[in-house]
Amino acid sequence: MIRARLIEIGRYALLVLLAVFLQAVFASQLPLLGVRADIFVITVVLVAVGAGSNTGLVFGFIAGLTADVVFLEPVGTRAFLYLLAGYGVGRYVEEFGLASAWVVVVLAAVASLASQGVYGVMQIAMGAEGSLFLMIRRQMIPSALFGGLLAAPLYLGFVRLKLVHRPREAGPLFS
Amino acid sequence: MPRNVVLRRRLLLAASIMLSLVLLTAYFREPASGLLHSVQLGGSDTLSPMQSFAARAVQPFRDGYQWGRDVLGANARNERLEAELEALRGELVRLNEAGEENLRLKELLDLREAEIFPAGSTFVTARVIGKSPTKWQAWVQIDRGEDDGIRLNQPVVGATVSADKSLSGKGLVGKVIAVGRRSARVQLIVDSTSSVATLIQGTRAEGILEGTLAGRLIMDFVERDQPVEEKFIVITSGFGQIYPKGIPVGIVLSVGEVDVSIYKQIEVRPFVDFETLEEVMVLTTPNASVEDPAGMRTVVPEETGSAGQ
Repeated sequence: MIRARLIEIGRYALLVLLAVFLQAVFASQLPLLGVRADIFVITVVLVAVGAGSNTGLVFGFIAGLTADVVFLEPVGTRAFLYLLAGYGVGRYVEEFGLASAWVVVVLAAVASLASQGVYGVMQIAMGAEGSLFLMIRRQMIPSALFGGLLAAPLYLGFVRLKLVHRPREAGPLFS
Repeated sequence: MPRNVVLRRRLLLAASIMLSLVLLTAYFREPASGLLHSVQLGGSDTLSPMQSFAARAVQPFRDGYQWGRDVLGANARNERLEAELEALRGELVRLNEAGEENLRLKELLDLREAEIFPAGSTFVTARVIGKSPTKWQAWVQIDRGEDDGIRLNQPVVGATVSADKSLSGKGLVGKVIAVGRRSARVQLIVDSTSSVATLIQGTRAEGILEGTLAGRLIMDFVERDQPVEEKFIVITSGFGQIYPKGIPVGIVLSVGEVDVSIYKQIEVRPFVDFETLEEVMVLTTPNASVEDPAGMRTVVPEETGSAGQ
C-alpha cells in the first residue's frame, strides 16, 4: 500500500520534471498563434482527468509553484490558478465522467482559457493597464486553442508512458 | 458520497487556496533579497543552462519559421521598409543640414560610442534564453547575471548584429528588473508597466514613453503646441536615474490630438524588433544599481517622476 503510494508520488514528481523540461526546452522557444504554450496547465488537466479532484488539486498546487519559478512569476500566482484548474477538472470528471477521450482536449482548452482569464484579472488588479477584451483576443483564445491542440499528443504520450491514468470510460483517443 | 469525504475535499481545497494566497502575500511583502525571491532566482539559475542550450538547439527551427513568415509577409514588409527608408533618408538630409544635429545622428549610428553613455560604461553581451509566457507582461530572460556584473535597473540595448550600420534593430530594449547569479530578467519598454523619460529629436519635446498591453509604445505628456511630426526620432532624455541620455528608442509613427487632453497622443514604433530579439547588451555602469524592495514589476519612481519635466 505504502509502496504503491510512493510509486504514485514518484510518478507525479516525474511528470512535474517532464513539464519543466518540455516548457523550458520547447514551449518557451517555439511560439504558435503568437503565444507560448503552458505545458503545466495541460499536465494538471491530464492528471486531474485520470486521478480526480483531490489529486488534481494537490498536483495543480505543486505544478503551479514549480511554474512560478520557471515563469518567474510572483510565487503563489500559478499555484492558485492550477489548483483551481485541477480541482475543477477533477470534479467535472467525477460528476459527469468522460463521454470520449476528446473531452480531454476540450477540458484542456477550457482550463487554459479559465486560468488565463483569472490570471488576466489578477494582472489588471496588480496594475497592468489595458483592455481585457484585447487580451482575450490576443492572449487567452490563442492560448486556449494551443493548449487544446497540445493536450492530445501529451495525453497520448503520458498514457503510453503510464504517467497518467486513463479513465476506463474514456476510450482511445485516436480510434 | 460519504459526508466526511466531501468535507475532506473541501478542507483540502480551502487549505490550498489559503496557502497559495499566503505565499503570494509574502512574496509581495518581502524585499527582493527575501527567501521566496531567492528560491525563485535560484531555480531560474538552475534552469538557465538548459534554456540556453534549448535556445541554441531550436534556433534552426525558429529561423525556418521566421523565414516562412518573412516570405509570406514579404510584400507588406517591403512596402513598410521602403517607407521607413524614405523617412530615414529624409531624416538624414535634415540632420546633415544642421551641424548641431549631425552629431546626434552619429550617436544613433553606433550605440557603443562612448559619448552616449556615462564615462566608464561597459557592455555585457547576453543571449536571450527565455521570453514572457503571456502577453500580460513583456520581458526576456538573459544568460548573464550577477557573476557577470549585471545589477538591478541597468539599461539594456539592442545588439542585432545584422543591423550594425543602420538604425533598425539598434535601440533601447529595457532595463534589468531581477538578477540571479547566472541569469537576469529584462523588462522590455513595451511592457504595460514600463515608462521611460524620452525626448523627440528636432523639437526637443519631452515626454514619458509608456508600454501598453497591445505591445504599442505611447509617448505621453507632450504639450499640444509642440510641432511633432511623423518619422521624428525618439531618444532617451536622461531624466531619472536609469537610462543615460541619447539612446535611440524609436520613430514617431503617428501623432494625434484629443479635444479633452492637453497632451498629444503620440505612437512610437521601437527600433528594436522584440519578437526576434536574440542578443542584447547590458550597460553595466558602476553604481547604477538601485535596490528594488517592492518586487519585480515596480517602476522606479525617479523615471516615472520625470513626467512633464
